[in-house]
Amino acid sequence: MMGTGFCALLKKDCRMLASGRFFLMAMGFLILYTAYVNLGYVRFMQMEPYRVYLYDPAGTQEEKQPIVQEVPSLEAMNAALLADANGVGLDAGTGAVRVVLYAGAEHIDQHRADYALSLLRPPAGRTPEVLGTNTPEQKARKEITCELLFFELAAVGFLGIAAVLFKEKGMGVIRVHAILPLQKELFLLSKLAVFLLCDLAFAVLLTLLNIGPADGAAVLPAVLLQTAFLSLVMALVGLLCALLLKSFRQFTLAYLAIAVFAATPVFLSANTSIKFDWIGYHPFYHVYIGLKNAYFGEAVSSAYYAGAAGVIVLLFLAVRHAFRREIGKEG
Amino acid sequence: MIEAKDLTFSYGKGKQALHGLSFTVEDGEIFGFLGPNGSGKSTTQKILTGILKGYGGKVSLFGQDASAAHGQGFLEKIGVLFEFPYLYANLSAVDNLHYFASFYPKGQRRDVGELLHMLGLEPNFWKKPVSSYSKGMRQRVSMARALVSNPRLLFLDEPTSGLDPSGAVLFRKIIEQERKKGTTVFITTHNMADADLLCDRVAFISGGRLAALDTPKRLKEKNSNHRVVIDYLVGGQRKTKTIGAPELEAGIPFAHDEIISIHSQEPTLEDMFIRYTGRGLG
Repeated sequence: MMGTGFCALLKKDCRMLASGRFFLMAMGFLILYTAYVNLGYVRFMQMEPYRVYLYDPAGTQEEKQPIVQEVPSLEAMNAALLADANGVGLDAGTGAVRVVLYAGAEHIDQHRADYALSLLRPPAGRTPEVLGTNTPEQKARKEITCELLFFELAAVGFLGIAAVLFKEKGMGVIRVHAILPLQKELFLLSKLAVFLLCDLAFAVLLTLLNIGPADGAAVLPAVLLQTAFLSLVMALVGLLCALLLKSFRQFTLAYLAIAVFAATPVFLSANTSIKFDWIGYHPFYHVYIGLKNAYFGEAVSSAYYAGAAGVIVLLFLAVRHAFRREIGKEG
Repeated sequence: MIEAKDLTFSYGKGKQALHGLSFTVEDGEIFGFLGPNGSGKSTTQKILTGILKGYGGKVSLFGQDASAAHGQGFLEKIGVLFEFPYLYANLSAVDNLHYFASFYPKGQRRDVGELLHMLGLEPNFWKKPVSSYSKGMRQRVSMARALVSNPRLLFLDEPTSGLDPSGAVLFRKIIEQERKKGTTVFITTHNMADADLLCDRVAFISGGRLAALDTPKRLKEKNSNHRVVIDYLVGGQRKTKTIGAPELEAGIPFAHDEIISIHSQEPTLEDMFIRYTGRGLG
C-alpha cells in the first residue's frame, strides 16, 4: 500500500508541476544557459590578448616580446588606442615607461597595465605555476556552468516547489491528506523526490552540454552529489516558506530575501575582486565552493558533508512539524 | 461505534474549545452534531478523525481507545466530507477520485464511474478539469471522494451546502443508502432540514458544551404545546381556531362546513436549538 501511495503522490506531483509549466520553464532555462555559455561567454573568454603599442624612440626596451607593436610617435599611439579601445599604450619616450590607455577609460586598468608591462621582459627564467590541467576554455566553461547551476538551484528551483505547495494549500487538498491512510511524511518526500530528480537531470544536461561529454562525465558523480545537497536544502526551504507563509505574495518577498541571501554575496565574492572577510561565515559560500570543487575535481571535507546532512535533517523535521500543523487547520 | 466521555480540548491558555462533552454514536446510526460557528463542532470532528491530539477525557472508536485507534487501519475505515470541496482543480473528477482511492486497499475501493453516476455528475464533465465545475458539481465529486473507500464511518460536514434542492434530495437519499448498508454517519450541519430528515439523533452543542441530545422527534415533542391550528369554513366564512390536540380525539369539537387545513404547533428543530442554547445557528 505504501508503495502504491507513494507512486500516486509522485504521479500527482509531476502532473502539478507539468500543469504549472515547471518542466517547460526548466527546459527554457537550460536552453538559455547553454546558449549563453556556448554563444556568448566562451566566445568572450576566447578574445585575443590585448594589443600593446610601444613608443620607444631611443630603443630602450631591448627585451620586449615580439607581439608588442612599436609606433613611430605618440600621435600614432593615440590614433591606435582610439581605434582599439582595449589596447594598452606604453610610452618609453621619457625614460621610465608610462602606461597610456584609451582616453575614455577614466581609471587605469591594473590588470591590463600589468599584462602590457610584463611583455617588456623576456619570458625565459620565469616558470609559471601550474594551477590545473584544464585548458583556459575548459576552465571558463566549468566556472560558468558551476555558477549557473548554483543560481538555478539556489534561486529558481525552490520557487517551483513553493508554488506547487501554495497551489495545494489554496485548493485545500493538503488537508484531505490528514485523513488519508498514508504516512504523512510521504507527502513531503514525494515532492522532494520529484524536485531532486528534476534538479539532477538539469545538472546532468547542463554539465554535459556545456563542459562536453568526456569531461562532463568525469565530474558528474561529484557534481550530482553537491547538486543533491543544494537541491534538498532549497526544496526544504521552499516547503517551509510555503507552509509558514499565508500567501504567494508574502512568499515573493521572502523569496527575494532568500535568493539575495543565498546568491548575491557568493557571486560577488567569487566573480569580482571584492573580498569579504566574513564570507567564510556565509553557509551558501561553502555550498558554492563545494560545487566548484566538484567541477574541478577537488576533494570536499567530510565536515562539510556532515554539516550538510545535519542541515537537511533539521530542515526536514521543521517542515514536517509545519506540515502537521497546516493539515490540522480550519477550512 | 463512537464513545466520547468528558471530552475537553484547549487551543491554548484561555482558549478552551470543549468543556467535557459526553455522547455515544451507535453502529449504523445517523448522528447530527448541530451548533453555531465556533461552538466546537469542527474541533470535535477533528479529534474523532485523529487530526487533533492532546485532548482530555476519553474517546473510543470502533471499540478501541482513540490513541490506539487512529492508525492507518482506522483511516482506511473512515470517509470524510469537508465543508469545502477540497479537490485538485487541475485534475478531472476521475483523476481526483483515482488519486484519492489509490491510498486504500484495492478490494475496498468503489468503482469511480459508478460513484459519479450515482452522484449525478454528467459524464461529459468526468474528464474535464475540476476548475471548470460549478460549486454543486465540486460538492458531488467531494462526496464521491468521501465514499470511494467504502467507509464504515462517514463524517459529513455540511453535506448539502452549495447544492440545489434536487442535489440536496439526492445527497439525503445517498446518506440513507449508506445507513442501510450499515455505515455510521456523523453529520455536522447548520441545516435543520437535513438534521430533521436524516438524523436518528441530534446533539446541540454551544460554547463547547452539549446542550441537548435526543431524537429530533422527541426534542420537538418534549417542548410542544400540543396545540393545533384549524382553518375551516362555516356559513360561507373562512375561520381559524387553535385547540389542544387531545380535543381532536373525539372529532372536530366545533361547528363547521368544511375543514381547509390542520397544522400542529409543534416547534421546529431550530426553535429547539435556540431554546436549549440561547443562540441561533447563523
